[in-house]
Amino acid sequence: MHSINKTHLLKYSKENFFILSRILSILILIIFLSIVSPQFLGWNNILNIFRQASIQFLISAGLTLVIITAGIDLAVGAILGLAACLSASLIVSGHLGLGIVAGLISGLFAGALNGLLVAFGRITPFIATYGVLWIAGGIGYVFMKGEVLHSFPPGFRFIGTGILFGIPVTILIAGIILVILHLLLHKTVFGRYIYAIGGNPIAARLSGISVKSKLFYVYTLSGLLSSFAALVIMARVNSVDSSIGEELLLPAIAAVCLGGASLFGGVGGIAGTAIGALILALVINGMNLLGVPSFWQSGVMGAIILGAVLADQYGSGRSLIKS
Amino acid sequence: MDRRNFIKYNIIVTLGGLANPIFAQGNKPITIAFFVKNVTNPFWKGCRIGAEKAAKELGVSLEVVAPTKPDNIEEQTRLVEDWIVKKPDAFVFVPVDFKALVPSIQKVNKAGIPVVGYNNRMTDVDFVSYIGSDDELIEYEASTFLFKSMGGKGKIVHIDGVPAASTAQARKKGLERALKDFPGIELLVSQPGQYRRLPAVQVFENLMQRYPEIDGVVSANDDMAVGIAEALISAGRANKTKVIGVDGIPDALAAISAGKMFATADFSGHDQAYLAVHAAVRNLRKLPVPKEIKLPIVIISKQNISSFPSTPEERSVPSWDKTIASQK
Repeated sequence: MHSINKTHLLKYSKENFFILSRILSILILIIFLSIVSPQFLGWNNILNIFRQASIQFLISAGLTLVIITAGIDLAVGAILGLAACLSASLIVSGHLGLGIVAGLISGLFAGALNGLLVAFGRITPFIATYGVLWIAGGIGYVFMKGEVLHSFPPGFRFIGTGILFGIPVTILIAGIILVILHLLLHKTVFGRYIYAIGGNPIAARLSGISVKSKLFYVYTLSGLLSSFAALVIMARVNSVDSSIGEELLLPAIAAVCLGGASLFGGVGGIAGTAIGALILALVINGMNLLGVPSFWQSGVMGAIILGAVLADQYGSGRSLIKS
Repeated sequence: MDRRNFIKYNIIVTLGGLANPIFAQGNKPITIAFFVKNVTNPFWKGCRIGAEKAAKELGVSLEVVAPTKPDNIEEQTRLVEDWIVKKPDAFVFVPVDFKALVPSIQKVNKAGIPVVGYNNRMTDVDFVSYIGSDDELIEYEASTFLFKSMGGKGKIVHIDGVPAASTAQARKKGLERALKDFPGIELLVSQPGQYRRLPAVQVFENLMQRYPEIDGVVSANDDMAVGIAEALISAGRANKTKVIGVDGIPDALAAISAGKMFATADFSGHDQAYLAVHAAVRNLRKLPVPKEIKLPIVIISKQNISSFPSTPEERSVPSWDKTIASQK
């Protein structure tokens, strides 16, 4: 137990280093953008950036936990899409509560399937979740048959478009999830186990952690969080088609990695992911405000992601690779 | 024929034989392989329903072929190869990319299976007939309609599709052509919305910060246009900005009825697909088929929306003879 606490502390201080370096890069971005674009520092624009970052954060939150265990969940977007399809179809037919519950349960089950395959089926996370990606996506296609569901009730849309105490509700929701997951990772035994498993699964097993059940819970939680993100996105865009979850995966991985998590596991944190999501939102906002031509945007985005990760490698004495 | 295709082929022939007594007796009914770009966008659902109506009317069997990953070039290439092996009587085809699929369709030509194209034109291939309208023209007419309603002056924003997609490029060209006709219209900026609602909404929210006055928005499709219209409402700017889209999807028609969105341009995938299946069957039955059928573009706005059924199922089918007569 003692050794686990010690490694955990070590990881924690490393996480703090990442957060500091990220806050620095955010400051640089903010200074640059506020010089070149006069509208950048407007209150509405700031809310805008935070709201967009909140959505990105919600999509990436579950994935962060999985990546800390040295796994990967390729099905985040697909599970999100499936949950959106199921709950939208119930919501437009008038069953609001049932729709929300069904969406969350579908995410929970799809996540549990990932967990079963990875923890008990001993399939590599990459392959297991890739399979679930296709299954969840396929069910969504069959279910929707090219239909688009739209116009959800205003009460439901509140979570995506509402404003409470002058702040968009989406930002408040993301803030609450951030706090809960941060406490889960750093103040509970379960959280410590997640880092221990990611850092060294064999040592974790030898020190008496039931690695399988913990992994199962992490993937299940990731599925649940994806379906929760689905509800917020639905409320925001007011329409669902079966492709709603596509192309969300890669930005989600980018946000987690920008937040300092290592794909080798054991390193990272949920606050880092929130910062990663914020960086992505800042860059897109900046490019839109500056009117960067369409064709350049993906290149700029890639360069910034690589630049940030490279800066870490050198800034932290390449500790990422060695650990 | 590799082994996988061979097995698939046999399964299909056997099942076809079991299911259809006429087939088993060797009196083979006409089978048409009907391609769409994806099963997610309602535009292609409209196409499928148009094609199904034609197939039912003509008594032919229709196999709908779609990539599971939307607009996936590699997957459609494979599907075409599979279908060459299955040898349907004709292909009714739309390429997910008008350049990348050229070698595949050349193979179909070589295999002697007649191909009718619809919706996206292709070069260097042999089409029995092409039914469609082009993307450049539709955006040109949509933009022109918007600019006229703005009195020929004002500031607009363009929300592009997937910048590399051929449809997005053609639509952008149409917009640029319309801008030349209206020197009083200023294009503030063109930014990509990826043809999808969430990115389009977010990009547009960012642009609203930079541009306090936007008189019009030209959106490369309806899915994005509806999201933009909603974003304008949330920002309290709905009455100042007119949004126009392309496709005529049900969601957009609802938004136009409700006064949220200004207009959309429809090149009716439903009618294109219906006529394309007709052309394919006429060709097989040795009836004359024109090399190209151009469908008129219809602008749907609040004035004429009542005459457009909101779902493709309720739409009436075009008359072949009347369409041909109108081609002069």
